[in-house]
Amino acid sequence: MRVVIAEDDTLLREGLVLLLANEGIEVAAAVDNATDFLAAVSAERPDAAVVDVRLPPDFKAEGIAAAAAARRERPGLPVLVLSAYVEDSYATELLANGADGVGYLLKERVGKVEQFLDALNRVAGGGTVMDPEVVSQLMVRRRADDPIRTLTPREREVLALMAEGLANPDIAARLVVTEPAVSKHIRNIFAKLGLAHGDSGHRRVLAVLAYLKS
Amino acid sequence: MDRVRSAYRATRRALPFLLRGLVSAAVALVLLIRVLLVAAFTLIGVGWLAIPSTVRAVRRWAGDERHRVAAYTGRPVPAPYPPPDDTGSVSTRTLVADPATWRDVAWVLFHGLTGLVVGVGAVLLPLSVVNAAVVPIYWSAMPADDPVQSPYPVTSWAGALGMLPLGLGWLVLTLVLVPLLARWQAGVAGQLLRPTKDAQLSERVTELTATRAAALEAHGAELRRIERDLHDGTQNRLMGVIMNLGIAERALRRDPTSALPMLLQAQNQATDALTELRDVVRTIYPPVLAERGLDGALAALAARCAIPCTLRVDGLRRLPAAVEAAAYFVVAEALTNASKHSGADHVGVTVTLRPPAVRGDEETLVIEVRDDGHGGADESGGSGLAGIRRRVAAFDGQTSVTSPLGGPTVVEAVIPCAS
Repeated sequence: MRVVIAEDDTLLREGLVLLLANEGIEVAAAVDNATDFLAAVSAERPDAAVVDVRLPPDFKAEGIAAAAAARRERPGLPVLVLSAYVEDSYATELLANGADGVGYLLKERVGKVEQFLDALNRVAGGGTVMDPEVVSQLMVRRRADDPIRTLTPREREVLALMAEGLANPDIAARLVVTEPAVSKHIRNIFAKLGLAHGDSGHRRVLAVLAYLKS
Repeated sequence: MDRVRSAYRATRRALPFLLRGLVSAAVALVLLIRVLLVAAFTLIGVGWLAIPSTVRAVRRWAGDERHRVAAYTGRPVPAPYPPPDDTGSVSTRTLVADPATWRDVAWVLFHGLTGLVVGVGAVLLPLSVVNAAVVPIYWSAMPADDPVQSPYPVTSWAGALGMLPLGLGWLVLTLVLVPLLARWQAGVAGQLLRPTKDAQLSERVTELTATRAAALEAHGAELRRIERDLHDGTQNRLMGVIMNLGIAERALRRDPTSALPMLLQAQNQATDALTELRDVVRTIYPPVLAERGLDGALAALAARCAIPCTLRVDGLRRLPAAVEAAAYFVVAEALTNASKHSGADHVGVTVTLRPPAVRGDEETLVIEVRDDGHGGADESGGSGLAGIRRRVAAFDGQTSVTSPLGGPTVVEAVIPCAS
């Protein structure tokens, strides 16, 4: 896999390059601003991009805009956005133009290298990855009469993992249950929340996130 | 005896005041005629054009009168005119609508009509005393068909000596009336020429609104700065620690020896994170203030300064934490500026807690940083001066910077200490 990195902090950028290189991932370009990032994306044609949310000059959400611009230039380009803190409006903005091949993670997730690589691979494969923190923020802000309160604890766990973008086998593995059991939980969840039984993958993530945000 | 002495002193003070009032009353009379003419011509239209110059003239003389009254009473008479807007010009309509203009006209009317009489009276009273005292000396020298008349024809020694008790009467009248008249004139003029309570209050509200907005702005800017410092410094360094530990963890599985550099780097970054965190904390509220007070903290600053620095503190005690932090910031910034840009050999810091000028006012902390460098400090050039101004303005304080080419550069900040 070839990736392009946009991260303004020198030490973090070099750390990311080293980490990915150690894991056999080729870093085609590592840049520190949005303009160079867009140039690198069109020049290097990477398989995926890893982008920091805050980039110069204003250090607000330039990374989100850069990711969107890159995906307009190269539709379907997998982009994993890293952020120092979770902001669900950033997540919404990212998902606005399609959720396939989009990921949004807290920066410190990089430290759990295995999970980070897993997330990167899923995004590169067209999947969706949402940081558990985003999901749990969405889960807590619930009204008292919310149908989510009718979910069993296990069902809520499954819902959260679905929202993070995990597929059924992964959910089964995380919860140490069988796949048919996961399927059964998901059927119950969809029934209780009144969601149309979606197909697997990113469309399911969108449906769940949309529900959580409503 | 004491009463006589104090009445004498009051009269000696009042006389020159009333004599100068004689001059200003003559001017006021001329102004009064001018105002009446302009008013009359305005009724038929053309006078409108003459209003601005007339108001200017009235304001100029009202200004003189404020000084005269202030010098006599010892209390300043502030001018009530609103500051001109950004264009610097004031429309005739605004001038006419301004209550201060009408109060000035009221003063012109009052002083023009009474000032001459009062002033002449103030001259005549003591002259009458002198005259009564010397009549016994010169009455006999007057021609018999034109004797001293005032207030009765003096034609005999009895009549001449009778002038002495009369003179005593004039003296008493002088000692009583002259100070009274002066007080009356100063009182009425002061009342008319100072801003009304309403105007004072609304001016104060405008001022407070502006400083409050400035305080909020400074506060907001400060929060953004702290957030940026924490994000770019501490947070990123800790991310780096986590990342390096992640890399080290993976390396340990493959080849334990290759993990060591990563671990060392993680350790360095953790140290850096701590240093940067400490720096950020220091800018929020320097811990040295809590430990050693403002004077101790300033002494530490002076000792650390790159150029020789003498510090003088006067009357300092514990002040509100925000004021101490601001004062510390001002001195720290000014010293940094001096050592970076001024080329000075020496810099002096004076910090004084000044008691209130008027009872009921606040104490003020006066900070002066003076260097003997080449001057020419540029406030626009991203120096710390703008930061000093913002931080001081947040307390309703004032900053002045004088830095002529060739030096010296003096930064003075005055911070009110709400106690």
